[in-house]
Amino acid sequence: MVELFHHLYIGFSTILSVQNVLLCLVGCLVGTLIGVLPGIGPLATIAILMPLTYNAEPIGSLIMLAGIYYGSQYGGSTTAILVNMPGETSSLVTTFDGHAMARQGRAGKALGIAAIGSFIAGTFATFVIAGTAIPLSKLALSFTAGNYFALMVLGLSLAIILAGGSVLKAICMLFIGVLMALVGADQITAEPRLTFGLQILYDGFDIAIVSMGLFGLAEILRNLETPEQKPFVGQVVGSLLPDRQDMKESAGAIARGSVLGSIIGIIPGNGATLSSFVSYALEKALSKHPEKFGKGAIQGVAGPESANNAAAQTTFIPLLTLGLPSTAVMALVGGAMTLHGVVPGPQVISKHPDLFWGVVSSMWIGNLMLVIINLPLIGVWVKFLKVPYHLLFPTIVLFCCIGIYSVNSRPSDVLEVAVFGVLGYVLHKLRFELAPLLLGLVLGAMLEDNLRRGLILSEGNVWTFLSEPLTLALLSIALLALGAAVVPSISKGREQLVDED
Amino acid sequence: MSTQSVEGRRAVAVPRYARIDVIGGALIVLLAVTIWIGARDLDAGALSRIGTGALPKGLAVILFVAGVAILLRGLMQSNEAAERFYIAVRPAAIVVASIVLFGVFIRGGDFGLFSTPQLGLMIVGPLTVFISGNATPEMEVKRLIVLSFGLTAAMLLVFMDLLSVTIPVFPVFIQEPLTLSLGIDTVVRIAYVGYGLLAALLHVIFFGLPEMRRG
Repeated sequence: MVELFHHLYIGFSTILSVQNVLLCLVGCLVGTLIGVLPGIGPLATIAILMPLTYNAEPIGSLIMLAGIYYGSQYGGSTTAILVNMPGETSSLVTTFDGHAMARQGRAGKALGIAAIGSFIAGTFATFVIAGTAIPLSKLALSFTAGNYFALMVLGLSLAIILAGGSVLKAICMLFIGVLMALVGADQITAEPRLTFGLQILYDGFDIAIVSMGLFGLAEILRNLETPEQKPFVGQVVGSLLPDRQDMKESAGAIARGSVLGSIIGIIPGNGATLSSFVSYALEKALSKHPEKFGKGAIQGVAGPESANNAAAQTTFIPLLTLGLPSTAVMALVGGAMTLHGVVPGPQVISKHPDLFWGVVSSMWIGNLMLVIINLPLIGVWVKFLKVPYHLLFPTIVLFCCIGIYSVNSRPSDVLEVAVFGVLGYVLHKLRFELAPLLLGLVLGAMLEDNLRRGLILSEGNVWTFLSEPLTLALLSIALLALGAAVVPSISKGREQLVDED
Repeated sequence: MSTQSVEGRRAVAVPRYARIDVIGGALIVLLAVTIWIGARDLDAGALSRIGTGALPKGLAVILFVAGVAILLRGLMQSNEAAERFYIAVRPAAIVVASIVLFGVFIRGGDFGLFSTPQLGLMIVGPLTVFISGNATPEMEVKRLIVLSFGLTAAMLLVFMDLLSVTIPVFPVFIQEPLTLSLGIDTVVRIAYVGYGLLAALLHVIFFGLPEMRRG
């Protein structure tokens, strides 16, 4: 316990420099701003803004990225409550009761309880991360290459299963991602692979370019299909601060949401969305007045909002301690870390303690900022909600072009974004989920490396490779989970979970 | 998304070639074959020493099988389960064209088949905004023109001055003499202030003075 506070102290002493607090603030504000804008979720937000973080120090850029991430989540909740448009699937549940409260003139209270609940849950999740990180990374350091390979397979399987959509198609996307990771010079022999003689392919695929195309640009192309939706924005009336009665009613929901979200967030797959649904169902089941749900029950906002925020933070755990991103957003964060020369994995804590604990404590600072800065700014965010899409998307297009060009000063990068944008759009229309592709791209090299080393250690004997108990157990669970997902009744339920976060 | 699947069901018959699973499966098969061809000459190695070609080849085979499975599912599914493939070509083409224009002319260069001159952000920026803005029927020409110049000014300010990133700003024949005489920073500042003022001026011409003018 003492150790835990010592670590948090390292973290806070790192982040409490003027520059880092400023970056955290900028991340939160920009994230909220873009998250509030219609039609852009957290994933697209991060994909679009990633080039901005390239110039900062590794710590600063990660703090900013994290700020953008929960800022955009927060922005999504705001739109869910005010205009019934969830910015992302994890705040879908918030529309049920949050928007009902808004129509009753209690929008301020809904926003307030969402922010306070998120803050409490975020605080709890920060401690969960701080408490689990060291044991988990120690465990991971004791893994052999074969264990690691199996763990990656399990993580990827769960990510595919819990992300929804067709499992077969998701597997295709995952493998395409892995193949894309292999394009370019081989890690060991430097022999060019799958380059088809093209100079551009020799350097491999840049995750910033791929994600900006697949998630940023493709989202614009998708939105342009349908006529613009003019959101009706009501007046934010009522006080922002929930009164004592509201707090009493939602205290339990916030506590349960925090615990639930923290646990579900660690599991690969879309924890934030899943936990908000589970929390809503739980609150409804526990409530003495379940009939009030859907008609403005404050617990129906407090629970899911706490849960999704806690989960959004604990999804960092697999990335920071094991090096395994479990969602597309985490894959992007992992990509950004690699870019700054910090390879995500169990060694991050021991090699870069200031970075690790700095990021962890920045989450808490960021959550605090969201409460004390964003709540008063709610009027400003409402104005952004009204920005018409036909002026917004050319802005994003230009921003993306300049942003990606500024990274390497290569015109071909801009053209690559266009290619991936079209590809992402077409694949989406063919009902291929894109998140597994990004996971594959980020993990591909590591996957091959561990498989290679594992097989060398077992001297090419597949049975020796598999007979290690942990490897076998992890691979069996992965296989069972994949098998179960194909069973029709389960796959039906899963397909409703489709989303791209 | 739900509206599209409803449309899919409403259609009387979806011809097999237009089903998303048929097209998607065929695409995966095609990709698998391409990867196999690309990996043909790579050494797959042995199990104890897996070579550079092992994973590409193995994954190509798996992709091929999966692609065939999706394709067959698409061919055999009932008409109700089938979904028609549809993309909005016009907006996508316009947006992509604007990005390609940006990429090709921002710094110029040799693109294999053709080479282009550098036009810089002052020219390419407004053009990209204006062209991509045409992708939607809700486009308002006047607002879009104001946005084109205003946005380019704002981007120059943010990227060049706040983030100190180097982006080509002017066509090369203007940039060189100007930079020599004034220094690049000054020139860029003059440029974005100029564009900002232009945007403001156009806004006033098109829409009149804003009502709540302070000071």
